Amino acid sequence: MNRKEPVWVHIILITASFFICFPLIFALIKSTQQLSVVTSASLIPGKEFFNNFKVVWNDYNLGRYIRNSLWISVWVASGKIVLSLLASHALVFYRFRGKSLIFGFIVITLMFPTEILILGLFELVSNQGASSLVQLIQWMFNPVEFFFAPTKYGFGWGDSTIGIIVPFLASATGVFLFRQHFLSIPKALADSARIDGANSFQFLTRIIIPMSKNTIGALALIQFVYVWDQYIWPRIIIRRSANQVVQVGLNMIVATGESVQWGQVMCATVIAIVPPLLVFALLYRAFMNGYALSSDK
Amino acid sequence: MKKLLLVLTIVFCSLAVVSANGTTEESAVAAAADDRIEITFWHALGDAARSGWIQDRVDEFNASQDTYVVTQEAKGSYRDTLQAAILADKQGNPPSLVHVFEVGSQLAYDSGIFMPIGDIGNFDTDDYIAPVLNYYTIDGKVNSIPFNSSSPVLYINTDKLVEAGFPADYVPDTFDDMIGAIETARERNVEGANISFALHAWYFEQWMAEQGAMLVNNDNGREARATEVNLTSDAAVKIGNFMKELGEKDIYSYTGRFEDWDGSDAIFKGGQSMFHITSTADLGNIAKAVEGSFTMGVGKLPIPAGEMRNGTVIGGGSIWVTKNQSEAQLEGARDFALFLTNTDNMISWHKLTGYYPVRNSSVDKLREEGWFTGDAKQLVAFNQLLTTISNSATAGALGGTLLDNRTIIEQAMQKILQGGDVMSALQEAKDIADAKLAEYNANF
Amino acid sequence: MKDDHGVFRSRFTVWLYLSPTILILAVFIFYPAWKSIILGFYRSNLFLGTRTFIGLENFRNLFTGILSPGFIQVMVQTVLFSTLVVLFGLSFSLFLAVQANKNVKGAKVYRMLLIWPFALSPAIAATIYLFMFNPEVGIVNTVFDALFGMRPRWLDSPVLAFFLVVAASVWKNIGYNIVFYLASLQSIPKTPLEAASIDGASRFQSFKMVMFPLLSPTTFFLLFTNLTFSFFDSFAIIDVLTKGGPIGPAPFFDNEGITTTLMYKVYLDGFGGSSNMGFAASEALVMMSIVAIFTFLQFRFLAKRVHYEG
Repeated sequence: MNRKEPVWVHIILITASFFICFPLIFALIKSTQQLSVVTSASLIPGKEFFNNFKVVWNDYNLGRYIRNSLWISVWVASGKIVLSLLASHALVFYRFRGKSLIFGFIVITLMFPTEILILGLFELVSNQGASSLVQLIQWMFNPVEFFFAPTKYGFGWGDSTIGIIVPFLASATGVFLFRQHFLSIPKALADSARIDGANSFQFLTRIIIPMSKNTIGALALIQFVYVWDQYIWPRIIIRRSANQVVQVGLNMIVATGESVQWGQVMCATVIAIVPPLLVFALLYRAFMNGYALSSDK
Repeated sequence: MKKLLLVLTIVFCSLAVVSANGTTEESAVAAAADDRIEITFWHALGDAARSGWIQDRVDEFNASQDTYVVTQEAKGSYRDTLQAAILADKQGNPPSLVHVFEVGSQLAYDSGIFMPIGDIGNFDTDDYIAPVLNYYTIDGKVNSIPFNSSSPVLYINTDKLVEAGFPADYVPDTFDDMIGAIETARERNVEGANISFALHAWYFEQWMAEQGAMLVNNDNGREARATEVNLTSDAAVKIGNFMKELGEKDIYSYTGRFEDWDGSDAIFKGGQSMFHITSTADLGNIAKAVEGSFTMGVGKLPIPAGEMRNGTVIGGGSIWVTKNQSEAQLEGARDFALFLTNTDNMISWHKLTGYYPVRNSSVDKLREEGWFTGDAKQLVAFNQLLTTISNSATAGALGGTLLDNRTIIEQAMQKILQGGDVMSALQEAKDIADAKLAEYNANF
Repeated sequence: MKDDHGVFRSRFTVWLYLSPTILILAVFIFYPAWKSIILGFYRSNLFLGTRTFIGLENFRNLFTGILSPGFIQVMVQTVLFSTLVVLFGLSFSLFLAVQANKNVKGAKVYRMLLIWPFALSPAIAATIYLFMFNPEVGIVNTVFDALFGMRPRWLDSPVLAFFLVVAASVWKNIGYNIVFYLASLQSIPKTPLEAASIDGASRFQSFKMVMFPLLSPTTFFLLFTNLTFSFFDSFAIIDVLTKGGPIGPAPFFDNEGITTTLMYKVYLDGFGGSSNMGFAASEALVMMSIVAIFTFLQFRFLAKRVHYEG
């Protein structure tokens, strides 16, 4: 269909692009301006970006926050990919009893976003562990205490990055996507691999994973952005600013000092958006292909 | 294109990792090589200036003796600090000293992890300024050592005042005076003739105390656990009426957000208001910020007309000692708390931050130094503190839900500002506040 | 068709593959979810560490008594907020995705300009808005002042604040939505559309009859993710922009801040103030039930209306 599109399509798209892009361009410009111009309406870029950068990066801990966020995002995103690859591999290419039950068990967790669990999760993650194994076992084998009373012992991970990594390593979305994709792979491939004497792990690493690059890319993108954006959980569980993530850290930059230094705050937002933007640009193609694959076939 | 992106990503990541490496694990690196007794101090003052000052005192203390070694750590907001301490205590590893804010006093007390510092041996507390110590005395015992204390004062844009035809040293004493001055200024087309202060229940608490009224029953929660919040008392209604008038006459300027200190300071600094109310702790900063743009005056906090001035409640934080530690640690903790608030340290603390030096000897010394003659503004703040009458009203309320109360009061005030009926807004606030208090008390 | 891929058999290895996922989900999702429910039946204060079983009292307090008007207001607000975010979010993005999918010059550039907010986080979106819409120093009010001589109070007048949070959420979501719409538009085979245009169907008709049904799986998916967003991820936007305030207009909306959603209230009650964890847990349980109903409906719809072969 090669109908020539009229001008109004351009007008719509240009207007929409303007409204969608303006805030970011605005932030970018403001992050370069000097103190006296930042709060004016002027949109002429200045030369202050590197000074602002230096201040937020070192004095306001932005460097620390970004590093924490990167560390967490990379761990969680890769953890989710690996664990879901393994799980969906088992769910698709193995024959065993209770398969649909397990799949149901995994998929039903989609119903429980982290945010909904924060009270229970907070207790579990931040409470201190039992002081002895005996105590722990006594507790675990007392069904009334273990199941029907608020959590007594936990992992003692309050205020640590482990507390924002480990609970998020598994992913129902990942299992769902990979399963979808694996089911589109011809069964004959698995059969012949088995006949050729490949064990299931070799089959997974040598055949399935290379065929799943797009899905892996799509999942990596979704999960990286998801973890990078996390806000409420780190806000609750992390108390020391040295361990904080950038999303919550931004708020502290806004609140630092006597009056808000908007130039510096905008500089911090501009920097904080770079990593997910890069990942997005890098994985966008894979994502589009991966999505098309999983929804079409 | 793709390769470029990949390279960019890698460069960014490695930059982030390398450049942030320098600041790794700066905290909790106790130089506990020897067998000195460890004392940890958790506080809520994370900004560079104040935590730097604390670190300097810690270093001095550590160098001054060889029995104890103190480490300090900022734990986020006051709330976070208290919460972290309670969790740490459950984990069997509490800090020795915790910095707790005034409205958290009851919570800290009820949490059961602290002990009155007055119980650790004998030491003299006479030198601490009475109204300050008053707040932190529970059941007749000195519970904690006041550390950073402040109260609200009136900041005046003198240029606008003069433009409105008032003498430069005019200070409105009452709400009515203040509103009258604004109206006169408006008649004379003075630009920015507004009153600004953060919409914060702290001021409500202060105005209750100034009128000698209790915020909660049972003698402000000091005789027995409070069971009722007095939000419909005459004193409370007077404050409500004041807010109502501000709203109706459209002379109150704020950012719309609750407890937005910075935002409301910005209004005053930007010349958008004639009168501004905020903490004495901001005297230095604001004076510096407006230097060159207008002359600033300072006066006592205006109060409802016809009331006797009882004085303000001391706000800020104090230092508490946790009980689950060894005898030696307790003594070390106490010694450090006393060191931190000794005469000279309180003077430098005051000069750095504007918080009151909480010792009489510090005030005397400052007076001798001529600190007040050089800066009459500080004197106003001091007089307000020193003329405060010590009674249960100015000692401040104790209650487990004072934090919730703040939000409830702020919501009621906003309702009134937006034109709501004073009495019904306050009645509703009281009902909610009482219900929350009852809920809290049911824990015992 | 479900099990025909199962070529490997093993008693042991299969659980080796499955156990990490199952373990983490069981320990960090199922157990805490269950414990959140249990907590709703207790009086539990975070500071005091108290746990007293009180039966249904927390739930009673949600729906009767002095605290209930606040809770009910927040429920209504949450529904209103979610509806607006989903409605505006989906319709704008569908409309724009269709335009950007057309054969126009520079379509690639347009697409790029429209989808980058995929990488935008709620906290960043809100921080930028916080500056732009700051009543005193924000650029929006500078422009408004110059054009209309007024400075609207974006953050403290109830209606404006509510819509500002909606706008920030829609903006934050738009990239995500357009990405998914574009992906599914590009995977739509051209034939049905060509057939429609040969049949002389108008543009709107061909969109309604042909394209929309083909987009429905994506729309359902986005409906769900956008709902989840407005329920939960809007937390950061609210926390940064308004902290749940300001008080809404009387008589109904004046019990809590107008931008307080259920999620934000759970946070305020459980981790703010004097930290009444039990009460917050009972609110979370209500929220959990709503989400459960939505999820159930989604799976029903997916199973019925949307035809995946895989």
